[in-house]
Amino acid sequence: MQMRTASAISTGLHVGVLLWATLSFTGETFHVTPAQSLPVDLVSEKQFSEMTKGIKEAKKPTEKPKPLVEKKADTVKPVEDLKAKVTEKQEVKATAQKAPETPPEPKPDPIAQKIKQQPDQKEAKAQPTPLPPKRPHIPQQPKFNADKIAALLDKRDPTRQAATGAELNSAPSLGTAMGNAAQLSQSELDALRARLMALWNPPVGIQDPQDYVIRIRIQLDRTGRLVSPPRVLSTGHGQLYDTARDSAVRAVFRGQPFDMLKPDHYDVWKDIEVTFDPRDMFRG
Amino acid sequence: MKPSTFDSFPFSFVGPTLNRRHVLAGAGAGALAVLAPRRAGAVLSIDINQGNIQPMPIALPDFVAGTPGEAEMARNVTSVITADLQRSGLFAPINPQAYIEKITNTDAVPRFADWRAINAQALATGRLTRQGDGRLKVEFRLWDVFAGQQLDGKQYFTSPDNWRRIAHIIADAIYQTLTGEKGYFDSRIVFVDETGPKRQRIKRLAIMDQDGFGVRYLTRGDELVLTPRFNPSTQEITYMAYGQGQPKVYLLNIETGQREIVGNFPGMSFAPRFSPDGQKVIMSLQQGPNANLFVMDLRSKQTTRLTDTPAIDTAPCYSPDGKYICFESDRGGSQQIYVMPANGGPATRISFGQGRHAGPVWSPRGDYIAFTGLIGSQFAIGVLKPDGSGERILTEGFHNEGPTFAPNGRVIMFFRDLGPGPFLYTIDITGRNELKVPTPSYASDPAWSPLLS
Repeated sequence: MQMRTASAISTGLHVGVLLWATLSFTGETFHVTPAQSLPVDLVSEKQFSEMTKGIKEAKKPTEKPKPLVEKKADTVKPVEDLKAKVTEKQEVKATAQKAPETPPEPKPDPIAQKIKQQPDQKEAKAQPTPLPPKRPHIPQQPKFNADKIAALLDKRDPTRQAATGAELNSAPSLGTAMGNAAQLSQSELDALRARLMALWNPPVGIQDPQDYVIRIRIQLDRTGRLVSPPRVLSTGHGQLYDTARDSAVRAVFRGQPFDMLKPDHYDVWKDIEVTFDPRDMFRG
Repeated sequence: MKPSTFDSFPFSFVGPTLNRRHVLAGAGAGALAVLAPRRAGAVLSIDINQGNIQPMPIALPDFVAGTPGEAEMARNVTSVITADLQRSGLFAPINPQAYIEKITNTDAVPRFADWRAINAQALATGRLTRQGDGRLKVEFRLWDVFAGQQLDGKQYFTSPDNWRRIAHIIADAIYQTLTGEKGYFDSRIVFVDETGPKRQRIKRLAIMDQDGFGVRYLTRGDELVLTPRFNPSTQEITYMAYGQGQPKVYLLNIETGQREIVGNFPGMSFAPRFSPDGQKVIMSLQQGPNANLFVMDLRSKQTTRLTDTPAIDTAPCYSPDGKYICFESDRGGSQQIYVMPANGGPATRISFGQGRHAGPVWSPRGDYIAFTGLIGSQFAIGVLKPDGSGERILTEGFHNEGPTFAPNGRVIMFFRDLGPGPFLYTIDITGRNELKVPTPSYASDPAWSPLLS
């Protein structure tokens, strides 16, 4: 009898546990977030040069062309614009705007200002339909900066540098006055470097390559020939240095004419400083 | 005589150089502007960080003879220089049939355009004249064809039968100016000449120029000779020989033929080598089943024991500054290379590569130690740095042994036996340009002399 009760209790409990288990554990389907496919275009180096080169017939941008920016600068620049100081008109404007808005702030914060300006416009629009604003606007820049987090996690430095600027801009521009891309293409530069690499025959006996980095200044005429003998800017001593120097000078002489450089960009390449650096070749 | 245009001068405005970091950033970001970081009006900077090491094309027209009677000797001098430079692997002499300008006056500036047209980068011209006193005057000029400058110019006086040495000396001068390193052509090789059937090989000590000319025999062949080594400072060699008795270490004066035994030790003495100053001989002495290193001062005849281990310590060789010794020992179980202070002290194992390492030789430049590697049943020639790093096999095969450095440390000579008998070979320390050295018959155990001049 005792056995029976015991087994009955046991069976009952087991059934109970099983029932509870089947009812309580609800199976949830395994979620797989669909990976977003990125559209990728394969662009040749020449096409890339052409793309970034800009087009002469392109509309002149009304505002200042922005350089390509991948990463925000760490420190926020103060509002004061160096150019504004030069022209009187703008300076007057800037001070006129600034003066009433931010007198007590110790540091003028451009982002804070922008944020401040924005709600005014929105509120003005929103007045007819009295909806509450979606997010409360924080007048000060939050201390928690996602960009800075990314910078902290980025352990790849110092081998990598993104193009930095005040704000992100992934669109390549028409080119700025400071840039050379519009004038000398990557293919021209690469061809120039490739020719000098092929012709540079450094002495094989170099043991301390850092002592044999040779800098040479060359001036070219429009046909890509040397106007005068190359001028060696670096200094050193010893027979091996003389040989290393002569090998670099010889490479420049033999490279004539540098016909891969297009006459249209003569202003860019008429004066070149070439550094012959054997450190990558002789690492011991 | 040095080119003046190349002379460096202080230059105040220098554009920022483009470093590798910028290049990487430029590649990564695809920002073209980085590669040409300067504005219009400033200097465009580019970095050339890879070169193209290849033999330098050089034109070596026949030296001009003072009188028609010396034309043949002038031609011979030129051909010896050409052969030296060609064998070094660093020069590519241009076929004389391509020459446009015929050099008749060595004092005039050559027509560089003619030499540029055949892509010569360097041009060596020279003249050979017999003086009134019977001596020979040999002069040469070395020109940089593209820069249009004279790089070197020298003249030598000697007796006419020394023309071969003068040619080697000129080849050394050209080599030094164009490579930045000392040459090695004016040097000799002492080696073991082997004749007769394999079981009754006659082994004689012989000496020759590094290009295989002027072979001279130093012993008669009535005893077995092994491991000849040059004294770095005198015309003397040390070697091991055995006739009837036990193997002993000997000293031999090459010029006088005078021979003496080194020390008077009870057992076998072997693997001798001079110290860099030539004042001492370091060698192995057999003691029962073991061998230890001893050094003997040649003046005082005083002997000092350097190692005392129950192992075979042999093949000692000094570093060029004389402060250290590298040697081979099986104290750790197999033959490996160890380094210790020259006056004794603890030894450190430096060879940890594949297989066993034997017969270490320190380069005269001090940068490498060459060795014979025993990997399986193969015998290889390799180099490693004195701290044990950078081990590299230069050549391997059935049997390669006995490396010896050229005086400038760039070339290694060794012997290779493919079965019937050994021959001498040279190889660059980069492992390129392997060449057979001409010898009258089989040859082994080469030892390269220091520069004669």
